[in-house]
Amino acid sequence: MTDQALSLFQLCDSNFPTGAFSHSYGLESYIQEDHVRDQATFSKWLHVYLNEQLVYSDGLASHIVYEALENEDFQRVWKVDRMLNVQNLPRETREGTQRMGERMLNLVGSLYEVPVLLQYKERIKEKRSFGHPAIVFTMIGHHLRVPQSTTTLYYLYSTVSSLVQNAVRAIPLGQTAGQKTIQEFQDALVKATEKIENLDEEDFGIVSPGLELSQMKHERVNIRIFMS
Amino acid sequence: MKEWTGVLRLDLEERLGKTVAKNVYFQGALKVMRPVYHDDSGQVCYYILNPGGGYLDGDRYQLQISLEKQARLTLTTQSATKVYKTPHSHAYQETEIFLKAGSYLEYIPDPLIAYQHARYKQKNVIRMEKGATFLYSDIITPGWSPDGERFSYDTVQLINEIYMDDELVSFDHIKLNPATQNMEALGFMEGFSHLGSMLVVGEQMSPDLLDRLYHVLYSKTDAYDVGLSLLPVKGFTLRVLANSTQTIERIFTECHRMISEEWFKTRPSFLRKY
Repeated sequence: MTDQALSLFQLCDSNFPTGAFSHSYGLESYIQEDHVRDQATFSKWLHVYLNEQLVYSDGLASHIVYEALENEDFQRVWKVDRMLNVQNLPRETREGTQRMGERMLNLVGSLYEVPVLLQYKERIKEKRSFGHPAIVFTMIGHHLRVPQSTTTLYYLYSTVSSLVQNAVRAIPLGQTAGQKTIQEFQDALVKATEKIENLDEEDFGIVSPGLELSQMKHERVNIRIFMS
Repeated sequence: MKEWTGVLRLDLEERLGKTVAKNVYFQGALKVMRPVYHDDSGQVCYYILNPGGGYLDGDRYQLQISLEKQARLTLTTQSATKVYKTPHSHAYQETEIFLKAGSYLEYIPDPLIAYQHARYKQKNVIRMEKGATFLYSDIITPGWSPDGERFSYDTVQLINEIYMDDELVSFDHIKLNPATQNMEALGFMEGFSHLGSMLVVGEQMSPDLLDRLYHVLYSKTDAYDVGLSLLPVKGFTLRVLANSTQTIERIFTECHRMISEEWFKTRPSFLRKY
């Protein structure tokens, strides 16, 4: 393991304060309708969320942004930032992700001095960009010279591990069940990263109807512990 | 690049309170019937026809619709779009829509019916100016299959891109893949067979209207499931999962009626087709 990877680990920690603990991305709707109620049903949901939404949005975005940073094609980075925002049709997840992106950007801005981070921050301030955690994460991965696929893989890992922590609190699951899920998902994460590498830009933003519906319906959930 | 199977161009403008054609052109397996004025509002209605009777292997259709300032159009189809099996390459349709400020387009095609081993890709690109209003809906339905399978088509992919003053403001990408996905699993169609989507963009949209739409549409029922949400610009998107076209159409008609009444003080016309 390289020191660079260790540095990126800091951003994967579910205690890294980006606000991920307050977003369930529709999981809470499934819990309230009793479709997700234990480790097995949660694991089903997480597989669908990873493979039918996350890979086509955050995952593919991370892959493209890394390449764009390699080529110093910043226009492409800003284009992906906009696409990530506008493809997210459920308002709560869109606005929540945007807030997380901004928060993460401010935080890593105090840890790293990278010109593109400053530029991103400036664009957000001028309302020319939105802010997204996948982009901030990829900027740091690229800055640290962590390879492209590893950066994507770690980003997916950080998202999945936060979601598991959220499920532990919300379903609730035991801590051991949570850790078992994370362990079981290692293989799925590697496969998802391989899938992303073979995706085309035309595949961007594909979402499965049920997941998206659950995210829209969350706006109408009365008693809630998550903001999305 | 292969030739188009059907091409349709429709440019409309407002003249003395009435929306009229500036240019109508069609070729191959796409055409429009003569314009219909359902009432005295000046809003015109065009019905699109597919004389071929369905989309076949490798078919490619191109539509271009443009509305000048204040023009008002109801665009619909004469019947459902049927996509049959596509053994070699998918059927494809692209539509580009230009809406000038003050114009209004309601584009309400009949459902898409995808039969056994059908593959279909559709891309709608809407380029609107601020102050234009756009209302769109589509319904994906599975066609009858000889072995009674619920989802016998291979793929249906629908993309909607909306640009306002040249900036991408909404991107909607659905790709249903029964050939490789288990549509009955959690997160996909949630036990339903039909998917309806509605997209509305207009300056008059408000969070309050979204709430009222929700209260009218929501009901504790097994017949359908509905979700709606505000877009990053003034407008909203609506998704419905159900087991029949009629259920989804009823919901869309209700939404359409509320929007027409509140924004334009009009009632939508009944689109007589059969």
